[in-house]
Amino acid sequence: MAIINNATKELQVKIVYYGPGKGGKTTNLEQVHANVKDVQEKGKLVSLATSSDRTLFFDFLPIEAMAIKGFKTKFQLYTVPGQVIYNTTRQLVLRGVDGIVFVADSQYEKMAENVESFQNLEENLVSQKLNLANIPYVIQYNKRDLPNAAPVEYMEFLLNNREVQVPSFTSAASKCEGVFETLNMITRLLLNKFINESARKSA
Amino acid sequence: MAGLPQLFEEDIQCMDESLSQLLERSEATAAFIIDKGGPLIAQHGDVDRFDTTTIAALAAGSFSATQAIAERCGEINFSSIYQQGDHTSMLFRNIDDNVMLVILFRAALSVGAIKYYGDVAVERVAAQLQRASERGGETVDLVSMNSLDAGDVFRKQTHCPNCSAEVAAGAKFCAECGTRM
Repeated sequence: MAIINNATKELQVKIVYYGPGKGGKTTNLEQVHANVKDVQEKGKLVSLATSSDRTLFFDFLPIEAMAIKGFKTKFQLYTVPGQVIYNTTRQLVLRGVDGIVFVADSQYEKMAENVESFQNLEENLVSQKLNLANIPYVIQYNKRDLPNAAPVEYMEFLLNNREVQVPSFTSAASKCEGVFETLNMITRLLLNKFINESARKSA
Repeated sequence: MAGLPQLFEEDIQCMDESLSQLLERSEATAAFIIDKGGPLIAQHGDVDRFDTTTIAALAAGSFSATQAIAERCGEINFSSIYQQGDHTSMLFRNIDDNVMLVILFRAALSVGAIKYYGDVAVERVAAQLQRASERGGETVDLVSMNSLDAGDVFRKQTHCPNCSAEVAAGAKFCAECGTRM
């Protein structure tokens, strides 16, 4: 749940990048860290990774940006470890999540892993007493620059085929294509949700 | 999990006072109140020496991970973690389901005293958070806060493909080498 601190006029939100192993979650954060401009404050990108550079616990990038006038808005971007064996760790990182970016790998041979990871996300949210239907999320179809990328329509059918379709983006995170579009959309969904909830409670 | 209640000035003031009192009595270096999801809620002491945002995220992860290990060992009671350092030691204390206390202190200080004064702060903050959850009803009116227009919150730096200089958004040519963008 986002922390709204009325005393210090601060809003803190947590966005988690979720998806199968080696899908590009860490690359998304690296590109945001390297290329973001005009933010109020950008922290260090912290990676808790194995010796072979695979995410072990999480990557963490704090950024402060002007999103709501009069409120300091602190975004905390996290990734989860994609490898199947680290499921408990993924559950821990999901704690207090406000928004999710699901990073799917567009390569044909990764489709089963994408679907499995999405199901795993839903299960892990349930374990945290959360429901995907109540959390803003977007889907990113990454690695579109690879020759064996599956058609977007096929991936939409596999991953974005629920009652309410969510915004989806194509990307090549290693070239920083689609990275900012994805982040800006999840930010917009989140802020709209907070404002709508605030309006409903005030009514 | 009920989640952290809406925090108002009185809650933050209580946290600040509790941390201030803790540091004054225990001579600890710094203390933080952290949401177990990662965000930092309150801090006090010599905090400029530390990257407190990152410490908060790591402390929350570490606390949750150790708690998960304890549960897997059949241990129901999990309230703290202590790391004894050569120069700086750390004590993490549970406050309630949602928040925790982190105390950084000189290794020369007695951990017993730190625990004692830490527990005083824990009790006071836990009671305030309990009052905050029972308060209900009140909410921060973000609607009047004027969310920014539909513009993007995060903007990407553009670099010239020829000389790598930063190029202004929408520019047709690189100001450094003249390459057409």
